[in-house]
Amino acid sequence: MAKDRNTSAEFVAPLRRLVLSVFVLLLLAVFIVWRIDSPRIERLRADITDRVVPNMDWAMAPVTGTVNLFRDFQSYQRLAEQNQELRSELRQMRAWKEAALQLEQENARLLDLNNVQLDPRLTYITGVVLADSGSPFRQSVLLNIGARDGLVDGWATMDGIGLVGRISGVAQNSARVLLLTDANSRVPATIQPSGEQALVAGDNTGRPLVEFIENRDVVRPGDRVISSGDGGVFPAGLLIGALEVDRGGRLRVRLSADYERLEFLRVLRHYGTPQVSDTGGVIRDGTPVPSVEEVAGND
Amino acid sequence: MTETTGFQLWSMRGLFVTLTLFLLLAELLPLQTVPRAWAAPDLIFCFALVWSARRPDLVPIWLLALVFILADLMLFRPPGLLAALMLVACFNLQSNPARVRSSGFMTEWFRAAIMIVAVAMGDRLLSALFLLPLPPLSLVTFQVIGTAVFYPVAVIVSATVFGVRLSSPSDIDALGGRA
Repeated sequence: MAKDRNTSAEFVAPLRRLVLSVFVLLLLAVFIVWRIDSPRIERLRADITDRVVPNMDWAMAPVTGTVNLFRDFQSYQRLAEQNQELRSELRQMRAWKEAALQLEQENARLLDLNNVQLDPRLTYITGVVLADSGSPFRQSVLLNIGARDGLVDGWATMDGIGLVGRISGVAQNSARVLLLTDANSRVPATIQPSGEQALVAGDNTGRPLVEFIENRDVVRPGDRVISSGDGGVFPAGLLIGALEVDRGGRLRVRLSADYERLEFLRVLRHYGTPQVSDTGGVIRDGTPVPSVEEVAGND
Repeated sequence: MTETTGFQLWSMRGLFVTLTLFLLLAELLPLQTVPRAWAAPDLIFCFALVWSARRPDLVPIWLLALVFILADLMLFRPPGLLAALMLVACFNLQSNPARVRSSGFMTEWFRAAIMIVAVAMGDRLLSALFLLPLPPLSLVTFQVIGTAVFYPVAVIVSATVFGVRLSSPSDIDALGGRA
């Protein structure tokens, strides 16, 4: 009996090692293919996520809801305190509301004077957050809208106030949003009112870094950071947040979007900023330029 | 007789897959959209190590490979890299259940901890070699320590809830007989 076991063990150990090496080689092959040709594997990943996660929504939604409810209960304990805070904030807001109304009227007057048409193609679709990235090293969320709803990679995503991230990976029924806080996120931005150009670069913290500022002297904490639309990826003028300086003296953005509660996100349809590629039709082909007298005569 | 053990075996394997899917979904719940300064232990890897050390017959290599690659894909990690490393680590613990049984729990825990550290270091090394962006070292260290500390908890949970105890010689016989 014991002898029997020994022979089988002799037999089994190399076999098991063979199986292991086959699987390890397979997995490493997947990794290397991913490293060389990332988009294809990423599409596969998006498809698999698309199959699995929306099917589990019935189980995940109630749990998420319950946990959020519990968190709300915790905040009820500080109700009186919050009430005070809200009252004082409300007083400040009234003043701001007046200012906003006046500005709105002025803005409407100026737009009317200039006969400005706002871009009618900048519309949005709203999606629900299904899942987060599940890993502390990646900052992304999964939305329940996808290629079915016409989503395209690279579109900007907002939460109604500020920019949240951009679409990175679209499957049939779901799409992944790479948040501004992810270490791979880079968004060209303008700092108002100075108009300095910069890059908002995520570094896996709640406050993304502001890099490549040409002149640091003209920006100060509290300045508004908005997307600049450079590179044609994002529409220009989306609010990102307010500038601040961290303890190390580096510039960061305090994001306007409420990252604590990402539930509904707006995806902006954006069909690219038209590029000016030629010098324009100044040089006329063939026909001579009309003389000044002719032009004057036509009038 | 063989049929019942076969059924038990497959139901326990199914239980393992269900457990990992549950852990995966728990991690995917959209509760953590703000970057944190800490990282939760890698529970899937931890349970895989415990089951590998104690009942290798319940978690064959192909099942672990499947579970790990699914986790890699769902958790937005580089697919295959961490899965391959974790597979080797689990195989290392699986390869000698008799020694685990005779040498006591502290040795088992120590071996598992070494495996956890080795996987994290291998992951970081290969990521650097393939020019991938490296995650912050503090987060990785936190996760490695967390996973190692969680190991005894996973052992207790596996033993009490799922009935996964150290394999007896008969199980090893069964393993040899089947393969």
